[in-house]
Amino acid sequence: MRARALGYVLAAALVALTCAAPGLAHAATPSSADLVEDPTAWDGQTIEFTGEAIGEAMSRGDEVWLHLNDDAYARGTIEEGGPLSGYNSGHAVVVPPQMAERVTVFGDHKHRGDLVRVTGVFSAACSEHGGDMDIHASALAVVERGHDVTDPVATGKLWALAITTGLALLTAGAYLARRRPY
Amino acid sequence: MFRPTLDDHKVIGVYTGKVVLGVGMLMLVPLVTALVFAEWDTAVDFGIGLMACLAVGFGLQAICHTERELRRAQGLVVVSASWILATLLGAIPFILSGHIGGMVDAVFDVMSGLTTTGLYLIQDLDHVSNGLNMWRFVLTFAGGQGIVVIALTFLFKGVGGGIYQLYAGEGKEDRLMPNVVHTARAIWLVSLVWLAVGTGALTVTALALGQEPVRAVLHGLWTFMGAFSTGGFAPQSFNTVWYHSVVFEVLCIIIFVAGSLNFAVHWAVWTGDRAELKRNIETRSFALTMALFVLVAAIGLARAGVYPDAVAFVRKVFYVVASAHTTTGFATIYSRATVTQWGPLAMIGLIGAMVIGASSASTAGGIKGFRVGVITKAFVQDIRRMVSPDSAVVISRYHHIKDRVLNDATVRSALAISVAFLTMHALVTMVGVYCGYPVVEAAFEGISAGSNTGLSCGLLAPSTPDGLKALYTLAMWLGRLEFMAVFALIGWGWSAVRGR
Ligand SMILES: [Zn+2]
Repeated sequence: MRARALGYVLAAALVALTCAAPGLAHAATPSSADLVEDPTAWDGQTIEFTGEAIGEAMSRGDEVWLHLNDDAYARGTIEEGGPLSGYNSGHAVVVPPQMAERVTVFGDHKHRGDLVRVTGVFSAACSEHGGDMDIHASALAVVERGHDVTDPVATGKLWALAITTGLALLTAGAYLARRRPY
Repeated sequence: MFRPTLDDHKVIGVYTGKVVLGVGMLMLVPLVTALVFAEWDTAVDFGIGLMACLAVGFGLQAICHTERELRRAQGLVVVSASWILATLLGAIPFILSGHIGGMVDAVFDVMSGLTTTGLYLIQDLDHVSNGLNMWRFVLTFAGGQGIVVIALTFLFKGVGGGIYQLYAGEGKEDRLMPNVVHTARAIWLVSLVWLAVGTGALTVTALALGQEPVRAVLHGLWTFMGAFSTGGFAPQSFNTVWYHSVVFEVLCIIIFVAGSLNFAVHWAVWTGDRAELKRNIETRSFALTMALFVLVAAIGLARAGVYPDAVAFVRKVFYVVASAHTTTGFATIYSRATVTQWGPLAMIGLIGAMVIGASSASTAGGIKGFRVGVITKAFVQDIRRMVSPDSAVVISRYHHIKDRVLNDATVRSALAISVAFLTMHALVTMVGVYCGYPVVEAAFEGISAGSNTGLSCGLLAPSTPDGLKALYTLAMWLGRLEFMAVFALIGWGWSAVRGR
């Protein structure tokens, strides 16, 4: 309850600030967790959101869907040696095609995606997109270019493979020997 | 209770070994996937997993070598023992991947896959290799078919009278044909045709939605496997929020509703008897309870005033309630939004849908429409008896493949299993509350596990206490095997100890 009340105060303050000085106002920067924890308070607000572009840009004519993860892995995937730090967390963003073109690397097993910052309006349940929670971006910048990630095989694993293979051959031999005794 | 002899243990060992070999064969799928995508590290992980399965599978068969055939009493124990070994061995690639917090989490994810639940503890899913992702979906698809049933179809020859027990132990008690192996093959035929058509439709849609061809094929295949097995795993952490498409959502609903139907109903429709869909006690029960829970969730959501227009409202409510009721677990809302947007009344609607679940002899979980239908009919029959003259004989009928007369034995076993489910749900909820979670959230998450649904309200996370994760793992297992096979294993263990 306290968090929600705080959210309303924050939202009200934002509105006041935006009305008072539209050119100077700096958009708030809620995390994906903040947004989903209190969607009502953020609904309709212009926010700034930064995250790693994941998967792909899904182009649908005059708009493109991006998914930006603002979790710890956006700064270092497990394959890069980043620590385990919980689930992924992110948000869906709708951007115009000419902005989406700037994003070129998308996060997957072999890539850490571009770190992308968008400014746009958050909807708790967007009426244009079937009630989806989304951000309609009006500005987009690539903060940090993504890159390839390699995942070399550890020598320890090769040893484990050799040992389990040996065991499998041994037991398979024993099995065959017992099935056909002579 | 029988006292197991050394030969009994040996027979169980041999057949469990065969199932473990089957699990090893399944690991070939992710292994090949990893090789195709040049994911060498993942390929080695699955190489180790495969060899471990072969070692255990052949080892068990060599040690327990016997010429005896499987008997009835041993069948259920083989099912339980196979599930335990499959879960432990299936966890190996998860642990080696580095994406999982520990043994408890890895076992949780494999059990969730095999039981077609869909909750997960894997971390940084969005950077997981295609090989490991493939394994998640192979687990869920194979688990839906029944891992023992798979081994039964391909690996067992000339099994004795215990074979039907193996088959029934995984909740597939409906025999379509006199021969159980033929029935298992018929189920495979139906499932593989659905696999081809469903994957094709989803892939074409994914292409149209803007995915690249390779990703569209993978997502099409994986979404199909997650949907048809009423599993609920999805390739990305966003689950089916990812696609933002009404066409994709409709396809998912068609596939997971199909997956939640009794295979006997599939077979009836397949062989030309379409009327079965309308007359079957389970499809009727499902339609009624679905309408009820859509209404409850809709009232809750209307009060919360979340969705701006009617189309969005219907789309969200129908998708998520259908996903809950078929015990799939796909969502088009973020997990925490269940609490922060949908609120307690809508959550209670979803909980009711999950508790009841879909059809027996399908991949779905929960109490099942058959039991709910039978218990309701028995209740109505009792009321009719009360208001009838003493001389009147009140008979109640239901339709499942053929018209049947409701008898007390059917009602009794339906009630027993239903009470077992409800007791488990109550206990799991209590433990969740004990761990400090709000009661509605504890009920939602615990029942999602025990009914093999997989919807999450955000309670479960890698940071959840290990005890609660382990309890959820047990609940998933008990729910999937409907208690009996697990209790048979416990009884076998007890009598083995006592016998010494
Ligand atoms: Zn929108």
